[in-house]
Amino acid sequence: MNNAAHFPLLSLILFTPLAGAILLLFVNKRSENAIRWIANIFAAAGFLASLPLWFWYDTKSPAWQFVEKLPWIPSIGAQYFLGVDGFSVLLILLTTMMGVIAVLSSWTAITTRVKEYYVFLLVLQTGMIGAFVSLDFLLFFLFWEVMLVPMYFLIGIWGSDRRLYSAIKFFLYTLAGSVVMLLGILAIYFSYHTMTGVWTFDVTEFQRFNLDRNLQWWVFLAFFLGFAIKVPMFPFHTWLPDAHTDAPTAGSVILAAVLLKMGTYGFIRFSLPILPDASREFVPMIAVLSIIGIVYGALVAMAQRDWKRLVAYSSVSHMALVMLGMFALNPAGLKGSIIQQLNHGISTGALFLIVGIVYERRHTRMISEYTGLSSVMPVYAAVFMFMMLSSIGLPGLNGFVGEFLILQGVFVVSKAWAAVAATGIVLGAAYMLWLYQRTMFGTVENPKNEKLPDLNLREVATFVPLMIMALWIGLYPKPFLDFLDTSVGAVVARVSPQYSGQAVTKQADCPENVAVNKFVLAGCETPAAAPAAPPPPGNVQPAPGSTPPPATPLKTTGGQ
Amino acid sequence: MPTGYSANDLVLLLPEIVLTTGLLVVLVADLFTGRSRQHWLGWLTIGVLVATAVPIVALSGHATTAARGLLAVDGFGAFFKLLFVLAAAITVLISRQYLEVEQARPGEYYFLVLCATLGMMVMAAGIDLITLFIGLETMAVSFYVLTGFLRPNRRSNEAAIKYFVLGAFSLGILLYGMSLVYGLSGTTRLREVAVALATQSDSLALKLAVVLVAAGMAFKIAAVPFHMWAPDVYEGAPTPITAFLSVGSKAASFAMLLRLLLEGLPAMAPEWRGLFYVLAVLSMTVGNIAAITQGNVKRMLAYSSIAHAGYILIGIVTATPRGVTAMLVYLMIYAFMQMGAFGVLALLRRRDVVGDELKDLSGLFFRRPLAAFAMLVFMLSLGGIPPTAGFMGKFWLFSAAIEAGYVWLAVIGVLNSAISLYYYVRVVVFMWMREELESASVHPSPGVAVALTVAVAATIIIGVYPAPLFELAEASAKTLGMAPRVLSLR
Amino acid sequence: MEGWLPIVIMIACGVGLGVVGTALSQLVGPRSPTPEKGAPYECGVPPVGDARERQSVKFYLVAMIFLLFDIEVAFLYPWAMALRDLGWVGFFQILVFFGLLLTGYIYVWRKGVLDWGSQEGL
Repeated sequence: MNNAAHFPLLSLILFTPLAGAILLLFVNKRSENAIRWIANIFAAAGFLASLPLWFWYDTKSPAWQFVEKLPWIPSIGAQYFLGVDGFSVLLILLTTMMGVIAVLSSWTAITTRVKEYYVFLLVLQTGMIGAFVSLDFLLFFLFWEVMLVPMYFLIGIWGSDRRLYSAIKFFLYTLAGSVVMLLGILAIYFSYHTMTGVWTFDVTEFQRFNLDRNLQWWVFLAFFLGFAIKVPMFPFHTWLPDAHTDAPTAGSVILAAVLLKMGTYGFIRFSLPILPDASREFVPMIAVLSIIGIVYGALVAMAQRDWKRLVAYSSVSHMALVMLGMFALNPAGLKGSIIQQLNHGISTGALFLIVGIVYERRHTRMISEYTGLSSVMPVYAAVFMFMMLSSIGLPGLNGFVGEFLILQGVFVVSKAWAAVAATGIVLGAAYMLWLYQRTMFGTVENPKNEKLPDLNLREVATFVPLMIMALWIGLYPKPFLDFLDTSVGAVVARVSPQYSGQAVTKQADCPENVAVNKFVLAGCETPAAAPAAPPPPGNVQPAPGSTPPPATPLKTTGGQ
Repeated sequence: MPTGYSANDLVLLLPEIVLTTGLLVVLVADLFTGRSRQHWLGWLTIGVLVATAVPIVALSGHATTAARGLLAVDGFGAFFKLLFVLAAAITVLISRQYLEVEQARPGEYYFLVLCATLGMMVMAAGIDLITLFIGLETMAVSFYVLTGFLRPNRRSNEAAIKYFVLGAFSLGILLYGMSLVYGLSGTTRLREVAVALATQSDSLALKLAVVLVAAGMAFKIAAVPFHMWAPDVYEGAPTPITAFLSVGSKAASFAMLLRLLLEGLPAMAPEWRGLFYVLAVLSMTVGNIAAITQGNVKRMLAYSSIAHAGYILIGIVTATPRGVTAMLVYLMIYAFMQMGAFGVLALLRRRDVVGDELKDLSGLFFRRPLAAFAMLVFMLSLGGIPPTAGFMGKFWLFSAAIEAGYVWLAVIGVLNSAISLYYYVRVVVFMWMREELESASVHPSPGVAVALTVAVAATIIIGVYPAPLFELAEASAKTLGMAPRVLSLR
Repeated sequence: MEGWLPIVIMIACGVGLGVVGTALSQLVGPRSPTPEKGAPYECGVPPVGDARERQSVKFYLVAMIFLLFDIEVAFLYPWAMALRDLGWVGFFQILVFFGLLLTGYIYVWRKGVLDWGSQEGL
């Protein structure tokens, strides 16, 4: 543990948006522009505060960094314990950046109850950042639940048609999952106490602790319910299209870009390292659900007539791919999964912004209402083209890097899974291109569309950072991958040690796992070669993004 | 036979003595003040409650008995006494405006609130069957009258009659159970009962006694299937009294139940564990499902309070120190959030509007944003969403269940708390997302404002920094006579 | 058997007193009967009529107050018997008891329950 800065940087990042929200409470609700300025300033301040993480984070060190530790509820061993690794740094940066964009994009979209809107948006921001920086399980759970309420209000007050229904559906679904997760947390808590005599919610301790296998199985199920609903995995995805469709644009952006990452973050941060045995056992189930999600999400997206719903279902498909990569449980798959999480945040967030822009002008989301927009709004069409290509994984843009790494990781485990996943990606390209063709090309048939104004400067400003990020990750992903070396290494060391430096000594584990786990079997066949030299899939030339994971043995300190 | 009372008793019983003197002063003061100066009675009552709180705090460190072993003076009792005083104070604060709207004379009202508080204090401190019963009766009779306090109001009258008849019935059952316990053990002192019954736990009569005592107390805490009176009584009673009834009466009954079971009947733990397991599951599930369909907020909160009784019963089922601590934590938190929610409802009462239908809350946010915010906090807290206190309470209860190995009970509990969010959030929908029906504004009196501020602040502060409450509850739970012994029986 | 003798004498005296009294008044007393005087209860309600007759609530109040105070006063007899054992503590306890009784009395009085003519306080 270290905190090189000797400065509560994480607390600063965490509470800047909250401070903005509290300040807004004291502003007269009629001075709407002042409210907008304050919200934008605080969102931007939050982003600026988070930038030092990018520069000061030591990618070589396996330790938790920027650690802050204070007693919180001593009688039960809960602490105010913050800290980050490379994975959470990337997600925090994504969160603060999307926060700025979401707040900025709302300037003209939100005209009623402006004050409450920004208060809720900023509180939501604090909740999300809190979940990413907490290393105390109870604190994490607190932030995890805190996110629900503002999001509920964002959908319920500023949403469209069926907003109340969608809001309550979102709320109850995610809540039901998370309360069961709480029981899982408690089970670990008591089990840890029985074994060590210490009352603690310290995640870093849990990650070093070997729980009873049988208990792991149950706790994994409990966690799975909480995280899978959030991701959302098939069959728990049904809240997502409704919530996305009815949420205001900024709500959809935040929901897609950050909130869904809570689920995947939970899996990587908690399920895999704390419950490694159970994670291995559940690989087949999760892989099957993910593959169904990939294909099903893509097919359903293709059938949508509502633009926003289409993007929502594309989210289901993309997040399923993220899950599949993660549960390859090898460095390539995990890194791809994390990179793809960022990509999904960037691309899908942008796609929701794109829908939001025409929705704000026309107040309809029906795809059939729009044709030939490229002639009316050329800049808009160009931005959409860029983001669509990023979403479908065109080489050179961010989506490709993530998808490639995921397929690479999955291929090692099962060629069949990789093949189906690749099909899903092709389907993804199909519905996106078809959407683009229907809305942008052709002639303007609807007279209402003839005078649509193109993007203004503020709207362009919301897209620029996303486009820069998409290009950066697409062309030069190395800095991002470097961030993940140690954190992915720590997870892999726990969950599939044969990939880390201890591969040789852990060989003995393999035979007994063969029966239960197809993946481990694959891992045992090519223990040393797997991470360093995966079979090149097809004739795709390894792009810069395919930088193989480091061959050097990873430290196996398990989050020390 | 122990001889008379000593001077030391006067010190140990100071809270009760102060309260008794105070309630007589309030009663007489009412008779000699004119109608125009009646509002001073409310502040006088607050003064009495504050004066009672001082000796309670001062005596909280003791672990002894008073009045020849009839009453325990310990941290457990002190914790509950403070809770009652607090609930009574909030009740008084939210009452004045309500009574003015109802055009009711407040004199006996405050007196009866204090009488009920006195009864509760005896219930929490008593370690003798008869003492406990007298405390229960004092509280119950006061509540019968208070429930029917709005004499011109039919619903209030109906509620009072229902409460009286069913209450008397349940007291009869309880008394029968107590008499069996007395008959089998030959003593009314709980701690002697425990010793006497330690060897005859398989006696059929004793099992019957446990069932009867459990049934009688289940009436008082409104656990399913002994809950039928609660919705009607809660709806009909004056709103502040509903608040006090659902918090004070419930907490006192739980305190008494803990005394009875852990101090008097630890030998029967397997029997009453099973019994209350069933009651807990039924109460949680039935209470929550019934609450979903209610259109009247007071009825909804009544059913929700049945569900909360179910959650709290988890603590009894575990009967571990952690379980008892969880109950104390939860009851204290419940006092704040439930009293606060009823405080907001009392605020909505106007001359021509009853204010307890869901639609009366429509657009409250646009009229009184602070009241709507307060209600939001209370609803989220009742539903157990962090960072409100309700989450910390549920956290304790469910962790107690898991620690004691009742995993399924915890699972049922958390799923129920997810269900409950549906109807709590519906209240929020009406307040925040519906158009307002009318523009008439309600101005909170200073008393209501103080009460709501305290309740909101406590709900949020305990939610964010619960350490002091946890430590207090843990220390208090430890002093409950037999808790460790039950643990060893497991 | 000897122990019962005083009781037998007591019963005999009681019966005898009643018999002698009744007989003497029958024989010696002057008589002027009226229907009113012939009724079983001279100053109560008519014995024949509708059972659900309305009565002034004052009757109930007085009856309740009488019961309460009567029972409370009856409590004094055992206290008096045990005064020596109870000592000063018992003395102060009965003072507290009287204080409570007195408060109740003040309440009843101020509420106008003792005032038969007024309707105030009902």
